[in-house]
Amino acid sequence: MTADTWQVVAAVAVFAGAYVAIATEWVPRVQAALVGAGLMLVIGASNGEAAFFSEDSGIDWNVIFLLLGMMIVVSVIKQTGLFEYLAVWAAKRARGRPYRVLVLLCVITAVASAALDNVTTVLLVAPVTLLVCDRIGVRPEAFLVAEALASNIGGTATLIGDPPNIIIASRGDLSFNDFLVNLAPVVVVLIGVFVLMSRWLFRASFTYDAQRAAAVMALDERRAITDPRLLTRSMVVLALILVFFSLHTALHVDPSVVALLGAGVLVLVSGLSSQEFLEDVEWETLVFFAGLFIMVGALVNIGVIEYLGEQAVDAVGGRYLLAGTGLLFGSAVVSGVVDNIPYVATMSPLVDDLVSSGDGSTQASSLWWALALGADLGGNATAIGASANVVVTGIAARNGYPISFWQFTRYGLIVTAVTVSLCWPYLWLRYFVLA
Amino acid sequence: MRAHELAEPFPVVHLDDDAMAATRMLADEGLPGLVVVDDDGGPLVVLPGSQVLRFALPEYIEEDPRLAHLYAEDEADAFCKALAGKAVRELMPSKQYLPQRARDRPVVQADDTLVEVASVMSRQHSPVVAVVDPDDPNHVIGVVTLHRLLGAALQRS
Repeated sequence: MTADTWQVVAAVAVFAGAYVAIATEWVPRVQAALVGAGLMLVIGASNGEAAFFSEDSGIDWNVIFLLLGMMIVVSVIKQTGLFEYLAVWAAKRARGRPYRVLVLLCVITAVASAALDNVTTVLLVAPVTLLVCDRIGVRPEAFLVAEALASNIGGTATLIGDPPNIIIASRGDLSFNDFLVNLAPVVVVLIGVFVLMSRWLFRASFTYDAQRAAAVMALDERRAITDPRLLTRSMVVLALILVFFSLHTALHVDPSVVALLGAGVLVLVSGLSSQEFLEDVEWETLVFFAGLFIMVGALVNIGVIEYLGEQAVDAVGGRYLLAGTGLLFGSAVVSGVVDNIPYVATMSPLVDDLVSSGDGSTQASSLWWALALGADLGGNATAIGASANVVVTGIAARNGYPISFWQFTRYGLIVTAVTVSLCWPYLWLRYFVLA
Repeated sequence: MRAHELAEPFPVVHLDDDAMAATRMLADEGLPGLVVVDDDGGPLVVLPGSQVLRFALPEYIEEDPRLAHLYAEDEADAFCKALAGKAVRELMPSKQYLPQRARDRPVVQADDTLVEVASVMSRQHSPVVAVVDPDDPNHVIGVVTLHRLLGAALQRS
């Protein structure tokens, strides 16, 4: 599509305006994205065909339907009581000792975030954490902050763990296994480091009271599972979804199709009403994604992304370690301040150009992993850096334990600095020294 | 029929009263809710029994009702102990949900008709409304309960 100069200027202005509105939360992000998308259509930077039917410059339906499918799966799993069971089981295994409880809850949160998604995981784990903390007689703030941080680290490991990864996978044509092979190893190390750091970071919250700790042993986790048949069926379907995700290379079935089929099967076998299985579908998030894709697609349409991509390719000039370093740390900084979803949606076409210019070399492909690690882990930096952080601080406030922006951020900044810094030697060794 | 003809005596509680004592009164006297008055004695809000119950339960059970299953029987029996040491003020809806305008309070005038009383009850989702003296809005004459309102209305229908 050829564009007039005024259209380019207007499109860039609309995009920048919407981005500022999203970053500063002047208006709800979904409104900013929708208005921005509408304006792109009005000025002719995009049109109906490009916005709704183009893979390169329109709504990425793979991302939308993958998210929708997984949200339905999570809605059903939520009804099983599995998370309540696991959290109480963990607290009892830890014998009510606060640090052990925190470690087990963080590990459960991280693993669940990788298998489902991190926002839903903290939504499910946070209430039961409040119950456990109430029982063992400790204030819950540190536990909730730690869970949010662990969920963002754990979610980094897989394609479905964090929404930015879904965008990266779609744009970079990367499979579920690509994420597992390239990101899961470093995430396992990061979770280990994080739980060790937690002993020091949250040390003031680990007051042990043997009498109170005994109260946690009185909880009966088995009573959380009210429908064992639904639990069994949900776990079988979730396992099948994960298996089919990992067989993508052999079967060539897109993750969005797998998620939708899995959701459909789960809906059929669960017997839940539509109100129940649609309970956790975040329609706002899906509409936000759609608006965002139209805005970024408009920039692709009128050649802005191509121009920036050429500039980036010229600037990098084959120095992928330097580019990766910039992407890793730059993404972490930006994602700590603004929502990492629009950031990744904007950066993905640029990174795609950079990776393509490297003819698929391992070094060039490492830029995807630098972007994912920086954007996902950078979300931990502040209380508003990632959706999971916002969800956790909201639940804490409603329960009478407000966590201030700075209270969260002083932990988040340390964890982000350490985890992102540890990713650099991983990227360097794996893709440049040992490749 | 007018509101004052249906009004019956009803205890009121002040913001600084003990929450446990107020809840006990609710249970002992079989009241459908608590009429909370402000510092001037004017009716501020009616806390229906279900609202009082909500405050006796931890908020996290509101977030995740499945957590209620985890309690052992003896602990479940004692869930009201959460009210100990709290004032009625602490059971109140947060400030943003408190009625800002007089018309949003569950209050009717003594000479209001049954339809006017029913309208306030319905709008406020309240099973009880306070009846005040038109000349002194801080003087509570009594209350009209849903039970009494419906009884009177059905008798005339």
